[in-house]
Amino acid sequence: MMNQSLSLPNNEENPTAPSGHSLLSLGRHLTLLIEKQAVIRNTWLLILLSVACIATLGIGTMPISPKDVIAVLFGHGNPMSQFIVQDLRLPRLLAALFTGAAFSLAGCLMQTMARNRLATPGIIGIDNAAMAFAVSSVVGMGVSLAPSAMALAGAATATALAFGLAGGSGTRGYRFIVAGIGIGAIAGAVTQLLLSQVSIDVANSAYPWTVGSLSARDPMMVKVLGIGLGICLVACLFLASQFALMPFSDQVITGLGANIKHIRITALVLCITLTGLAVAVAGPVGLVALVGPEIARVLARYRGIPLISSALTGALVMILADLFGRTILSPIELPVGIVTAVIGGPYLIWILVRRTSRTSL
Amino acid sequence: MTATSLQFKQTSEINNLARLGAERLTLKHGKTSIIENLDVSLPEGKVTAIVGPNGCGKSTLLNGLSRVHSPSSGVVLLDGKDIHSLPSKEVARRLALLPQDTLAPDGITIEELIRFGRHPHQSLLKQWAMDDQQAINYALNAADLEGLKNRLLDTLSGGQRQRAWIAMSIAQETPLLLLDEPTSALDLGHQIEVFELIRNLSRQGKTLAMVVHDLPSACRYSDHIIAMKKGEIITQGSPKEVMTKELVRELYGVECDLIPDPMTGSPILINMKRVRN
Amino acid sequence: MISWFHIPPAQRPLFSVFVSAHLVLALCCICSLLFGAGGLSLQASFQTLLGNGSADDQFTVFHLRATRTVIGLFIGLTLGIAGALMQAVARNPLAEPGLLGVSAGSSLAVAITLVLGASTATLTVGIAQFGALLGCLCVLSVARMQGQQNDPIRLVLAGAALSSLLLAVTSLLLLFDQRAADEIRFWVTGSVAGRDTDTLLSVLPSMLIAGLCILYAVKPLASLALGERVAIGLGHKPQRIRAVVIVAVALLVGGATAIAGPVAFIGLVVPFAARALVGPDIRRTLWLCLPLGPIIVISADIVSRLVAQPAEMPLGVLTAIIGAPVLLLIVRSRRMPTL
Repeated sequence: MMNQSLSLPNNEENPTAPSGHSLLSLGRHLTLLIEKQAVIRNTWLLILLSVACIATLGIGTMPISPKDVIAVLFGHGNPMSQFIVQDLRLPRLLAALFTGAAFSLAGCLMQTMARNRLATPGIIGIDNAAMAFAVSSVVGMGVSLAPSAMALAGAATATALAFGLAGGSGTRGYRFIVAGIGIGAIAGAVTQLLLSQVSIDVANSAYPWTVGSLSARDPMMVKVLGIGLGICLVACLFLASQFALMPFSDQVITGLGANIKHIRITALVLCITLTGLAVAVAGPVGLVALVGPEIARVLARYRGIPLISSALTGALVMILADLFGRTILSPIELPVGIVTAVIGGPYLIWILVRRTSRTSL
Repeated sequence: MTATSLQFKQTSEINNLARLGAERLTLKHGKTSIIENLDVSLPEGKVTAIVGPNGCGKSTLLNGLSRVHSPSSGVVLLDGKDIHSLPSKEVARRLALLPQDTLAPDGITIEELIRFGRHPHQSLLKQWAMDDQQAINYALNAADLEGLKNRLLDTLSGGQRQRAWIAMSIAQETPLLLLDEPTSALDLGHQIEVFELIRNLSRQGKTLAMVVHDLPSACRYSDHIIAMKKGEIITQGSPKEVMTKELVRELYGVECDLIPDPMTGSPILINMKRVRN
Repeated sequence: MISWFHIPPAQRPLFSVFVSAHLVLALCCICSLLFGAGGLSLQASFQTLLGNGSADDQFTVFHLRATRTVIGLFIGLTLGIAGALMQAVARNPLAEPGLLGVSAGSSLAVAITLVLGASTATLTVGIAQFGALLGCLCVLSVARMQGQQNDPIRLVLAGAALSSLLLAVTSLLLLFDQRAADEIRFWVTGSVAGRDTDTLLSVLPSMLIAGLCILYAVKPLASLALGERVAIGLGHKPQRIRAVVIVAVALLVGGATAIAGPVAFIGLVVPFAARALVGPDIRRTLWLCLPLGPIIVISADIVSRLVAQPAEMPLGVLTAIIGAPVLLLIVRSRRMPTL
């Protein structure tokens, strides 16, 4: 009876990887498990993303062929296309890439933490607060900081307030979410108040900040976002095994020796940082945080927590939405926030109305 | 690591390390205290059943003992040390908990679920080793799930699913295992399946504690019974010593007669009648 | 009074609470006539109220302030009742027209009509009510879907998502129409100031219908609180009750939104206060919501006139500031297993 399965002699030094994984073994003390599917999925997404980037750099009032785009990217090509690609289109592309990835990764983190696919930073009001601060800067009330810096300050203030009101994150971060919804409502009301106090021209100049757009971006902020995104991605890779425990109940997570409070706080800090920086660049484009992770989950067949894939799909969605908004009614430019709302909206309604299984909402 | 060394590790750990108890433990939900100044310890290498009426603090005690619920005062001692002072992963290598509420990630297979049990033994740089593979194979075998390992958890019967969760705790390779109502919501056949698995684990030297509702099963499948009422331990000891008409009346307000099971000798309740105390 | 607080809310004499609430309401109305942001001093207001004021003062007190008091009364009444009804139907203490996107649906409908060429002055109430009905249906389908899972936050999240979506569509519309954008940005900040009483009159017939709906539904709603199966067992038809209540809520919220613009959180705060005073039974809370809603709106309006003198703070901002902590309070006080 005793340990019957172990009576079989097993002298292999190297274990075989569990199904669907490959084992990267570098000596006895360094063994990494790699999920094959995830690698394949992310490679495909990267390829798609590169294609989308090259297309975006080429499409516009001055079309440039993909070959020329690639030539320019490698430092060749004629000065005209070099100017258009590198100075005009590349900064905007990078902004779209970074903000999309940041929003989507933040969304995935918060959804995982709250076990709720509707819980994203935008929905719980962080975007709203950033918007209120940015608008206050544009309409000339409050501190005279640049709108992007104010957006960042707004996101930080909202988070701090929500934490303060909720007295910590609460189990599953729910208290934090409710506090966030309340603060979001206040911020929304304040934004309306600010807009109603000024002339229509000033209100119009604040418009990009109320819907989310890539046309008012600040190059400095884009750089900061890029760095922040890189750091957060690396942190996610390091913490992936901890985040993977989040779907279990609190007792199981504690029982398996993980510190649930630390995981939760870390996830919150990461997603607030990402959202704050992304909002500072593009304003509230919160629906990407809802749509990006969802596409990633479908691609992952609803297994595991596709953090990296979420970042990639978010970037893809953002780039395509911006391309669409730039070209569809050219020369009028649709703000990217509106485009994502129109794309994400029907999906959102579908999520709301669909009859759901126990896990889906 | 070879099979013999793993076997050796398990038995030696059990002899030297496994000891869980609490001193003057007070556990509160918000402001109401569920358990006050409780002293308790789990006998080594045995199956302990915690019984008592609804709301007597059984599950709270189990959560307290497994550091899920932090005490307001008093200490939980694991191998003589305060459980909250030990690193959580270290505790998870000695003590596993199977809670009642078992949420699982979507679309997870049995093998993947069991693999989560290896979390406390893994680190960022050591994600998969021979121990892990052996422990998982052992757990699959012990819970009789080898044929089902690639099935999705959602597609299993209640009994199989419960066995899978227990297998996850087995894969954790802890000398101590706490189970919160492992057989609730299972039919008779599945209940016995799970209880027999628990008894087998105990024969292999593990120390187990479980919260059970059904008194006859508690008597039959445990070596030690802790009877609780209103957050206090009324009595404890071996099933034959402890299980009396008076105890049943005190715990549940039920008048009954006890007769020994003709096969095993464990007490059976008959002629049950509700009385108001 | 101390001993009164020791009685469980559900057993307190409704009559005494009801009467004292009405006294407080009367006091609030008088204060609303006395205080204001204008140059009129408190003493002068008082004199005017007694009939000894100049023509200008009379205009301020009896026209400007009286109008907004009446509108505040109306908004408080409708939104408070609507909140109580929605919470009963959704069986969720966090269900609130503003939070759940009902007001946003109403705003969207108004924005559409503005873009199509109407102006805020000629705005038809029916449009706003229709929008509210759509928002209501959308969100309650979610409520019914997740009814079994004891998790009120889901509904709020769904509502927040719906609101943000509807607001995004509203912004999209305004992008194409500058004139509408200019009009709506005043309207969209909920406020009781500067609204005219004509709309109020045009709303009244639909309020009568809403009142009849409520009278029909209130008793079945109380049994619905015990669960759908119990209600069926007691001989009610849950589907029909829900439909009637949803229509009533849409009429109430649409009417209020058409007059004052979206004002959030009233429907959350009022039933919360009513429940704290007389317990959870809808038949009792609903009666108490009648005076409580106006009390809260009018006192909030008085504060909004006084805090930012000489300018005014719109009511919507103030109610959001009051409502957000109450939201949190509800969540924290109900020890919900998932929180």
